[in-house]
Amino acid sequence: MSEYKYPIVKSFVTELQRIFRDPGVVVIFIVATLAYPLIYKALYWNEQINDVPVAVVDLSNSPQSREFLHRWNASPDIKLTHSCTSMAEAEHLLRDQKVHGIIYFPRDFAKQLADPLGQAHISLYCDMSSFLYMKAIYLSCNQVMLESMRNIQIDRYEQMGMDKEFAWSLVQDAPYHETALFTPTGGYGSFLIPAVLVLILHQTLLFGICMLGGTAREENEESYTFTSLIGRAGACFLTYYGLAAILLGFFPRLFGIPHIGAIGDILLLIVPYLLAIIFFSLCVSVFIRNRESGLVLLISTSLIFLFMAGISWPKEMIPQAWRWVAACIPYTWGAHAFIHVNSMGATLSQVTREFIALWVLTGAYGVMACVLFYIRKEREALRQKKEC
Amino acid sequence: MKYIFINIWRVMQRELHMMFARPLYLFASVGVMLLSTFFFLTLMRGGAAENMPVAVVDLDQTSISRRLIHEMQATPSVDIQLVTNSYPEAREAMQQGKIYGIFVIREGFYSDLVAFKRPQLDFYVTNAYTVGGNTAYKQLLTMANLTSGAFQREVLRKKGLTDDVIMHRIQPLAIEGHMVANPWGNYSIYLVSTILPGILGLICLMLTIFAIGFELKARTSHAWLRAAGGNYTVAMIGKLIPYTLIYLILGIGCHLILYRFAGFPVYGSKGRLMFGLLLFILAMEALGITMIGLLPTLRDALSIGALYSMLGFSLSGFTYPQMAMLPPVKALSYLEPLRHYYLIYVNEALMAAPAINSLPNALALTLFMLAALCVAPRLHRALVYWNYPLK
Repeated sequence: MSEYKYPIVKSFVTELQRIFRDPGVVVIFIVATLAYPLIYKALYWNEQINDVPVAVVDLSNSPQSREFLHRWNASPDIKLTHSCTSMAEAEHLLRDQKVHGIIYFPRDFAKQLADPLGQAHISLYCDMSSFLYMKAIYLSCNQVMLESMRNIQIDRYEQMGMDKEFAWSLVQDAPYHETALFTPTGGYGSFLIPAVLVLILHQTLLFGICMLGGTAREENEESYTFTSLIGRAGACFLTYYGLAAILLGFFPRLFGIPHIGAIGDILLLIVPYLLAIIFFSLCVSVFIRNRESGLVLLISTSLIFLFMAGISWPKEMIPQAWRWVAACIPYTWGAHAFIHVNSMGATLSQVTREFIALWVLTGAYGVMACVLFYIRKEREALRQKKEC
Repeated sequence: MKYIFINIWRVMQRELHMMFARPLYLFASVGVMLLSTFFFLTLMRGGAAENMPVAVVDLDQTSISRRLIHEMQATPSVDIQLVTNSYPEAREAMQQGKIYGIFVIREGFYSDLVAFKRPQLDFYVTNAYTVGGNTAYKQLLTMANLTSGAFQREVLRKKGLTDDVIMHRIQPLAIEGHMVANPWGNYSIYLVSTILPGILGLICLMLTIFAIGFELKARTSHAWLRAAGGNYTVAMIGKLIPYTLIYLILGIGCHLILYRFAGFPVYGSKGRLMFGLLLFILAMEALGITMIGLLPTLRDALSIGALYSMLGFSLSGFTYPQMAMLPPVKALSYLEPLRHYYLIYVNEALMAAPAINSLPNALALTLFMLAALCVAPRLHRALVYWNYPLK
């Protein structure tokens, strides 16, 4: 290999060859990285859940309750599929998962509404097997409530002898207007897919680098020099930069999920993110003996990293100790930074904290990888000496 | 007949020897499961999301807006992190992930209020974080109602009405929400009940593929068959017994930790729920055999196994309900054992349904075990002839 003047260039080229000549690594690095986002998009195709089936038990059987139900049925979130005569019948339907909620009007519903001093009740029963059922039922209920409540209040104030104008202004005293920022549909996919895209990069790089390390070790080709460390990191970075740009820059546009961030900021953000993952993975790969064992050992980290980062479960509700652990994982910073830039339109200067943290992790894991490689080299040397 | 048992014992001894010679086997099963259990049980402090940080933008800057903010700050379920008079500042805080919602008191709020001109309140929530945004939304709604109610109360009091009478006028209609089987709305119970068994299934699948596939890769499968007296069935039984025991013990342990130690509620039969979990574990193990049988190259089988079992978490429908999935995806979800376990869990733990409701899912899990028998000839050939590439 005399054609390379510098050993680092040679190491870089060797590592690139090892990546592209190994079908296993190509599958993980390229096929999985590009296929996973498509699969997840197909899974979460419908952003909203519509027409959650709901049973009605209307014991009051009054024009008022029917008026309510009529409005309720107009909501896209739920669908009144069954009308039951008793609570037991509705509970049966819920138990058999034919419906995911029950709306119950007590017998005195109309009477309480008519009584100027009364308070009428409606009971909602939500299936808790998925939180999205509850969300759909509560949301539709809130909308119907707000409208109906005003009309009842105005009626009551008028009965008290207030003039209509005054009663109207009284109930409308402080109307509110709500706006969902950033992802107007509020869909599940819009929220989850950006986080998953960032995770896919993290995990495929981790598994791929562990496979490269394990294979080299199996074939006794592993060299633990500083040059080979830098060469491998460089080769992985070069292979992945384009993939990362496609995943984080292009896929959100292709999929029609929120992408209000500047593409330039995303391309800059990818640099420390990839470097931090690469050095993190190189540290892990030192402990991997076979090409396949990394996958067996580390597959469940995908779920742990996702939850630890505080994306689906808010970070404010995670114990401090776990947040410290999470701070050591590149994914945590990468995911928040990407969501802030891509989904919430933050500029790079607004994610400085995450950006710097990723560089700090790159430095820390870079040094750690050097140390681990050095220890490993010494041990190998010792082992070979013994064998001689 | 006697020889069969002797051979099974020989294969088992060989397997146990291999298992303890490498830290991988025990670490990937017992170690990973212990770590995951500890992680998921300690992750969700309290289990219910509350007190998400929000910001108030006070563009009015009057005595009434300040009093309003004071009142909100005194409300225990509301965590106001930032009070500012600039909306861009609040929006920037949201973009930096510091707050999940913004409550805006418009300029002229006070003067409009005095003139009965219906001043409007605005609030903004982020949807980029689902649970955080939803919780903030609920808080802001409380704040808006607080404002609205406070004002009506003031006016009616001046009219000489008592608080009791006022209450029913302001609130003529009340909604009582009942969260069936999880009355606390506890996210931890909901999530961990499916995710932990799912991780255990993932371990069973991957480790089974690894245990069989490694014999192919290391070209030790002849020694393995020899120990079994050349009998494929004996070889498989002997090899799988130690793993199956580990998996089942982990399954029972997982069930006991969740439903005895952590006290997660089970409204139906705990016994049937545990039986469902054990069936699920065996189904995942069988799926592992099927995969290495269909793809007798260790790396291929593991890659497919990883994909299949990770998708199980989404396809089971416990976060994003199956009813919202596209029809082909919906059909695919039945090929995931985790979907069937999740349905058994819903029936047994949440709905207290009769056994008959879970029967189709238990049968489906049994079918996965039968599928493993179908690949036997192919896997046997691979073990004998090594007719697949090494890597």
